[in-house]
Amino acid sequence: FILMLSLTLGTMITITSNHWVTAWAGLEINTLAIIPLISKSHHPRAIEAATKYFLTQATASALMLFSSMTNAWSSGQWDITQLTNPPSCLLLTAAIAIKLGLTPFHFWFPEVLQGSSLTTALLLSTAMKFPPTTILLLTSHSLNPTLLSTMAIMSIALGGWMGLNQTQTRKILAFSSISHLGWMTTIITYNPKLTLLTFYLYSLMTTSIFLSMNSTNTLKLSTLMTSWTKAPMLNTTLMLTLLSLAGLPPLTGFLPKWLIIQELTKQEMTTTATIISMLSLLGLFFYLRLTYCSTITLPPNSSNKMKQWSIKKPVNTLTPTL
Amino acid sequence: FSWSSLGLAFHRTHLISSLLCLESIILSIYIALSIWPIKNQTSATLMQILILAFSACEASAGLAILIASTQTHVSDHLRNLNLLQC
Repeated sequence: FILMLSLTLGTMITITSNHWVTAWAGLEINTLAIIPLISKSHHPRAIEAATKYFLTQATASALMLFSSMTNAWSSGQWDITQLTNPPSCLLLTAAIAIKLGLTPFHFWFPEVLQGSSLTTALLLSTAMKFPPTTILLLTSHSLNPTLLSTMAIMSIALGGWMGLNQTQTRKILAFSSISHLGWMTTIITYNPKLTLLTFYLYSLMTTSIFLSMNSTNTLKLSTLMTSWTKAPMLNTTLMLTLLSLAGLPPLTGFLPKWLIIQELTKQEMTTTATIISMLSLLGLFFYLRLTYCSTITLPPNSSNKMKQWSIKKPVNTLTPTL
Repeated sequence: FSWSSLGLAFHRTHLISSLLCLESIILSIYIALSIWPIKNQTSATLMQILILAFSACEASAGLAILIASTQTHVSDHLRNLNLLQC
């Protein structure tokens, strides 16, 4: 319906733009379209999430417009691929970091995901990340690599650490997406195609996890433990996709990590590579905890009752085998 | 512009003040963009109208969110927005 259409319209506008104002317009359309989606249920949590989301995204859009304007003041033209003014580059990276949820601007992201329903959270974490990453890709040759890599390392660290004490699955997925975004931004100045690859694979895996959690309606870790009674096949595929998100070798999620580490060592940044691979161990801990909770534990009264759910998700059996 | 962004970053109790600061950010961008053609002898009026239209939409969406938050939470003080514990 109309909001989805306007979301796709906004994304298309931002992707196919070579002028800053069109990119900004597409981002604003996206923000405007998602706000009613977040606050559809008149629950206080949803409205609060909508306010936080709106404030952060609006400031980021305004910052982006301002940086493009200072660039236009100094260089005289509004092309996206030509950023000549260093302070406007800095402002632009800050604005996109706010939009994506990179550290140190990640504070809105877990709460917003927590306050929205599972499908809108899915949209927020995959589809809404796509236009700012395209803008980053378009401007990646003129951005500051040290700033980007420090933000990336910090976001991987924070995503791993803050996800350790969480019991709500949406917050856990928020922190996992923060760390994945960190992985994506480490490589963006050296090989932007790897960033795209990471983004595609990450969005695939997160969509499958969100959809499988949507069909079993697991919002907490305790609900995860009893989900094997409802649809056992879905539970096994959920476990496989979770492990793939963590980046374990035989599954697909290992591929972007491997390529990124390879590219970093080619660029003589071996300390960065070792640091981020150490920090992904933190994320591995809570992914493993999620899989452990979903598959191995038994509920208190172990009854293998099959409850009926009207939503069938056969797509998820394919995604771990990709 | 920098005054408004500082005001937005340090808003204390009311949500309305943050919305005001947002609007003043966009207004400062608009004024700066209006000065630019006088300096460089080019015309940028289409961009101006687009920016005005989108900022008006954003402001109205912000006001709608403000109304919704005062309906569900009691007032619009920022200390009330702590339902989603971290």
